[in-house]
Amino acid sequence: MTDTADTRPSPAGDSRRRAVVGFILDNLVWLILIVVALAFSAAIPNFLQIGIFLNILEQSTFVGILAVGLSLTLIAGHMDLSIESVMALAAMVVALTFGTGGAGGGLELHPAWLSFPVSLAMALAVGIVIGAFNGLLVVRFSINAFIVTLGSYIVVRGMVVALSGGRSVYGLPDAMRVMAVDRILGIPLLAWALIATYIIFALILTKTPFGRHIFLIGGNVTAAFRAGIKVGGVVMATFILSGALAGFAGWLLSSRTAGATANLGIGMLFQAFAAVVIGGVSLKGGQGRLSGVFAGVLLLSSIQTAINVMGMPPHYTQMIQGALVLAAVLLDTFKTTIRRHYL
Amino acid sequence: MRTLLRAMRGAVTAVALSALAVTAASAAEMKGKIYYLVPTLLDEFQTGSIDAITKFMGEVGYEVVSLDGQNQSATQLNQIDDVINLKPAAVILAAVDFDAAKTGIEKMRAAGIPVMIFDRQITSTPSDLTSVAGTVEIGYVAADEAARLLKDKYGEVKGKVLQILGDPGDPYTLDIQKGFEEKMAAYPGVTIITQPAMQWAADAAGSIAQDRLLTDPDIDLIFNHAAHLSVAVAAVLEAQGKKPGEIMMMSSNGAPVGLDLIRKGWLQVEVEQPMFAQAAALAMFADKVVNKEEIKAGNYDVTGLPSVMTIESWGPNIKIPGAAITKDNVDDPKFWGNMKPPADPITPVE
Repeated sequence: MTDTADTRPSPAGDSRRRAVVGFILDNLVWLILIVVALAFSAAIPNFLQIGIFLNILEQSTFVGILAVGLSLTLIAGHMDLSIESVMALAAMVVALTFGTGGAGGGLELHPAWLSFPVSLAMALAVGIVIGAFNGLLVVRFSINAFIVTLGSYIVVRGMVVALSGGRSVYGLPDAMRVMAVDRILGIPLLAWALIATYIIFALILTKTPFGRHIFLIGGNVTAAFRAGIKVGGVVMATFILSGALAGFAGWLLSSRTAGATANLGIGMLFQAFAAVVIGGVSLKGGQGRLSGVFAGVLLLSSIQTAINVMGMPPHYTQMIQGALVLAAVLLDTFKTTIRRHYL
Repeated sequence: MRTLLRAMRGAVTAVALSALAVTAASAAEMKGKIYYLVPTLLDEFQTGSIDAITKFMGEVGYEVVSLDGQNQSATQLNQIDDVINLKPAAVILAAVDFDAAKTGIEKMRAAGIPVMIFDRQITSTPSDLTSVAGTVEIGYVAADEAARLLKDKYGEVKGKVLQILGDPGDPYTLDIQKGFEEKMAAYPGVTIITQPAMQWAADAAGSIAQDRLLTDPDIDLIFNHAAHLSVAVAAVLEAQGKKPGEIMMMSSNGAPVGLDLIRKGWLQVEVEQPMFAQAAALAMFADKVVNKEEIKAGNYDVTGLPSVMTIESWGPNIKIPGAAITKDNVDDPKFWGNMKPPADPITPVE
């Protein structure tokens, strides 16, 4: 008998290799983000400083929160195109009520801190109402979500213009500007709001039956229905949550800009879509992780900040964002192939 | 059921007859209908111009219908095609895109419809009247004011200026930039950093200021190309603990929010587009344009502003000077941002 070395990997080694490959594939967008951040830090003067990274985090807040709502509806097998307009409407309603300058109504509450919860409730209510309306048309009348939310996108932006008469509003009370002005542990409250939103919704998606039902419905709605899941109720809830998150983003945005304009947040829908796709959420439904979406949002914000700092013409932002989305789709196909062969 | 149908038919007939009566009465009172093609409703100057043009044209006997181009030149060209079929007395055009509008203007004039150009000067093709403050000239006024502010600070014209444009696809902002930089070139001690806010988004302007103040903390002056951008930038400065005036700021267009920011000390200068006067000039000459009568060159008084009519290769052109608004004159009612249109009715030029 001759001793020969067994070149085949041991079962333990094989499983470790698979785990490593799986981890890398799952977090590829984070690796890209780290590489991009390092490259910017090395190449762009003054980019490498805490303040810039805090700006990236803070400026990610609005697109980031919109992207959470969009992810929920996409994972459930639908989509919500109305989020950008809902955000703008929530901001405008709040600004028109409490703003003291421009078209603002200048409502004063006593004690003054009441304007904080009351305005938040108003913004959430705007989002919930429009989200429920979208959900109702999609679930009860079986109208395609693309059509329903595209219609809402247009109508709601029109409402923003109509309500304000095209005029700007500013001068929100100090109590409402807390989110934009204050910091905890040196980190802006806006960034904390973003982080908290991602943690809460990541937990909802992964640790609750409701979250698992969203994935099941998006993956195979017939199977989910046969398994006894209340498909209509869950889908309705995703639209309501998406609307509420957009309302929340609008409330934060009005705090940051100390008011609202008729074109507030325009273009953020496409950034949210780009972040979601880069983050690995499947447009076919049933797949996606909010950690990936978070990395996607930070990646886009890093590029925008780098362009601001470099003074590069903004046309490049759109080109880079578009190229990133295409790269993300190609990468997704590549990841699927690798998974099929090696995992 | 038959009764119900008969009642409905009766009601429809009554409504139609009364509509006809109203239309006939209106036609008797009014000289005709003028379409105002406004580039966007997402801008306070433009929405304000609708009110001003409607009011002043009404005073000289024309009914105004406004159509929103939604900032898309293709949409505006479609509107021109539609309006041609409606055979209006005239069209007022504030172009989304100066170049793209050329073919539309030519089509309207070929169809016998007089075209008046409002606010956004088009020199590539003839029109029947142009009423402008001059976007390049607004840049000149802004440059003079920037030079003054920097000189007041340092005793000479030097320092760092952050210029935040509107959307880089909008010729309006590019013209202001051109005028501003052309005049500022005379001051080699001034560094200008230019960044555009995509789609004129206020939040984008805020982010630009926030990032740039980290990498260039020695910025002396921020020049925003619209007042609504200044609101977001002021909010960012406030969030960073800056006091009003600590970093000087100016903007252009003279919107109400800009004037409020001057009163609060965040803005030092607002370069006004004289919107009321620009709109009033159109009304003063509307009869001549509609009746295709000759417009004479010369000096005219437009709502109290001395204005010059010249006959250019693109047609009669009335230029009304833009003004610098500061803390000293911010409450002057002649500025459209104070929302007090002239009380005296417009008198048509004979």
